[in-house]
Amino acid sequence: MNYKKFFELAKSKGIEASELYSAKKYSLSFELFHSEVSSYSTSETFSMSARGIYNDKFGVVRTEKVDAKTPEHLVDEIISNAKVIEKADKALLFKGSDKYQKRNLYNKDIPAISIDQKMKNLFEIEAKLKKADPRIVEIEGVQYSEDAIEVNLVNSYGLNLKSKSNYYVYAASVVVKQGEEVKTGYKVLLSNDPKELDIDKFVDQVVENATSKLGGTQCDSKKYPVILNPKTAASFLDPYLESASAEEVQKHSSLFIGKLNQQVASKKVTILEQPLLKNCFFRYFDDEGVATVNKKIVEKGILKTYLHNLETAQREGTTTTGNGYRGGSKIGVGFVNPSIKPGRKSEADLLAKIKTGVYISSVAGLHAGLNPQSGNFSLQAEGFMIRDGKLAEPLSLITVAGNLLDLFMNVREVANNAELQLSGISAPSLLIKNLAISGK
Amino acid sequence: MIGKSLAIDVLNAGLVTGADFAEIYLEQNDSSFLSLENGKTESSLSSTTYGAGIRLLNKLQSVYGYTNDISRKGLMNLATSLAKSFQGERLITVEKINKVRVKNAHVYERPLSEVSREEKIALMKEAHEVISSYDKRIVRIQCSFMNNRKVVTIFNSDGKQFADFKERGRMAFVAIASENGKIETSFEGPGATAGMEFFTAKISVRDTAKRVAELAIKMLTAAECPSGKMPVVIGNGFGGVVFHEACGHSLEATAVAKKLSVFSDSLGKQIASPLVTAIDDGTIANGWGSNNIDDEGNPTQRNVLIKDGICTSFLVDSFNGRRMNAKANGACRRESYKYEPTSRMSNTFIAAGNSTHEEIIAATKLGLYAASMGGGSVNPATGEFNFSVSEAYIIRDGKIAEPVRGATLIGSGADILMKIDMVGNNLQRAQGMCGSVSGSIPADVGQPTIRVSEILVGGRGGVLK
Repeated sequence: MNYKKFFELAKSKGIEASELYSAKKYSLSFELFHSEVSSYSTSETFSMSARGIYNDKFGVVRTEKVDAKTPEHLVDEIISNAKVIEKADKALLFKGSDKYQKRNLYNKDIPAISIDQKMKNLFEIEAKLKKADPRIVEIEGVQYSEDAIEVNLVNSYGLNLKSKSNYYVYAASVVVKQGEEVKTGYKVLLSNDPKELDIDKFVDQVVENATSKLGGTQCDSKKYPVILNPKTAASFLDPYLESASAEEVQKHSSLFIGKLNQQVASKKVTILEQPLLKNCFFRYFDDEGVATVNKKIVEKGILKTYLHNLETAQREGTTTTGNGYRGGSKIGVGFVNPSIKPGRKSEADLLAKIKTGVYISSVAGLHAGLNPQSGNFSLQAEGFMIRDGKLAEPLSLITVAGNLLDLFMNVREVANNAELQLSGISAPSLLIKNLAISGK
Repeated sequence: MIGKSLAIDVLNAGLVTGADFAEIYLEQNDSSFLSLENGKTESSLSSTTYGAGIRLLNKLQSVYGYTNDISRKGLMNLATSLAKSFQGERLITVEKINKVRVKNAHVYERPLSEVSREEKIALMKEAHEVISSYDKRIVRIQCSFMNNRKVVTIFNSDGKQFADFKERGRMAFVAIASENGKIETSFEGPGATAGMEFFTAKISVRDTAKRVAELAIKMLTAAECPSGKMPVVIGNGFGGVVFHEACGHSLEATAVAKKLSVFSDSLGKQIASPLVTAIDDGTIANGWGSNNIDDEGNPTQRNVLIKDGICTSFLVDSFNGRRMNAKANGACRRESYKYEPTSRMSNTFIAAGNSTHEEIIAATKLGLYAASMGGGSVNPATGEFNFSVSEAYIIRDGKIAEPVRGATLIGSGADILMKIDMVGNNLQRAQGMCGSVSGSIPADVGQPTIRVSEILVGGRGGVLK
């Protein structure tokens, strides 16, 4: 599309300032089932999002249909949409930060590896899974996918920012059976460095994830000291950090209202946001074009900052923290590469502190069973009993219930085993004073 | 979009290496989203998705690609690159394409794509007023109005062309109540494949808004739900989400064909209590999950999945049907051209039984009444599920007693189906979005009031006494 034509047309129709955000995406994926390629998929798409300020209000429009009429369509929709907006905030577009820590995180090695080689890796994973354990009765699927995205943010103030990134994923899932008991296990590897694939290690992790669940029982319903593994700790960190959003605070839906510079977690907990960390989630500008910065959100249990975009910052007369990210129909508040700072002790050290307790290895149903506004949760979980400082029998179909704020206030120990999850969140194992578990 | 002659060229380019079936799916989806935050219009977005997906099948293999460059060059490139996945000789050549007549089952008195933003906003403001005047403890109210018009054209190597359009609309109301540091939220989201008349005449937006307000306040003052195994009465309407998640997904060919479902070998066998008959019906006029044709062109059907406890049918798409030796039954769906289609639910519900709602409550001495449900999820291989309950009460001596909050239901689908021991006569459907491999699609869930003799309930209120 002719960007210049859009900006000129917008100006001539009374749009004070305007912005175009385009995204070009490429994807490739394939899957093996019973030693055959059961699906193969490839795509190339282009989408464009335009925002414009008309009578101090934002009009927003998105389209994937790009032709000669597109500039006119975008301008007309910006005006029609802006006309019905009633909120008091004055719409703002960003003129640019003084400095950007630009870095190219696009790894040419990913597309450079032949499709044949990537297929061979899948066949090797499948063959090794087949031989790995007699209790594996089915390999549900072995998948590879890669994605690349190129974004370009341009506005009528002359800001022009580009970024390009890519990553790949290997995933495998197996069904194991012992007697009448059926369990599934899986492993997903996400990275932008092809050297990180270690097939034997990957296979071991799939098998371990599935077989360790066999023999699962339910424990007595009561409060237990709990260890959350890195994945589960990350699952809880995501909704907890929603409360750090200034937007949620301003709209009375945060657990952190009035808690700036106060204690929101135990002294053992430090939470960072590191958008400039060199991994596949790296971002050097947010979706409003503001340069991002690494920061401490919670330091030794004390809430150090709320997260702002241009609009939430304007409401409080402060400056944006570079956390304006697209969500749904507007720019909301988001975070990139959040993490709980690892401690010094190993997970084994944490286990050793518990005589009788529960180790949680995964929780399900977060979208429905956890209310980020009230912090209350009641979730399906699985894991192990902890007896005399060691993992004992597996537990399945248990529930864990509590409140997010209480959970973080009750962190007794933080382990050193941080793991980056698919969600982009990194956390180590946490020892929680106690949580309500129901089983039998 | 594209003409027959280009379609024939693209299909033939895809078939060159021996694929036995080729299909082009073209789509333009224009949608509008309006939202109100505390009574003021906060956002208004118009959005267009536009593109094509090409699918090639070769026995039990499928290849899929999509693009939004639907020029001759763009489509030919995509078909040619997908064809490289196979190494055979051409089996089929498409010579001509005939248009198949698609019958429209839905009436749109006032299509939402022609209703002004201002009129939709006025209706949301009415709902906002009802909620905000209900109780001072309601601190935040969100209302939204989404509608879309989707125009679809499908060409396939059987020489067929299908063209269809659909318009859906959904309103959503969220009330957030707060007192003494406690926060509770409640939600309702009515929708249909229909015009503005659905919101102004078919349902009462004011009544829906009032229910949202009432529930938020009721849950704010409720005690924590007790935990443990207990009899659970699940209310009608959205209560059907339990069947949808815990059983419906396991009856989709997506899981059944590869024998990855607990019900893979269950056809003709008893999988539920004899009181249970369950149906997936994609033909319901103006239904939220209805379609005239599915996303591979087959007319939608009313499929009886379970009859008196016996598994009678799966939901089958043509590709997975190959592995199962079963015929497709109009259940192939996808969110958009960005997804390869597969078997999915449409409007799925447990049929009405004989008991009244009152009889079911009266027959329960001590248990939980899950009046309305939140969302949940399930593992189709094991059937293990979890659901949050958004409105719940303890049943004591056959009467609905105190409200409780924070309840979760946990169990396995196969187990729960057998434990349904009472089925009510008050069938109702409710709207939701169902997420799975082929994306997020509109789907109705539904059921009458049912009772399950025992479910594990999770909560923070200790043991039920």
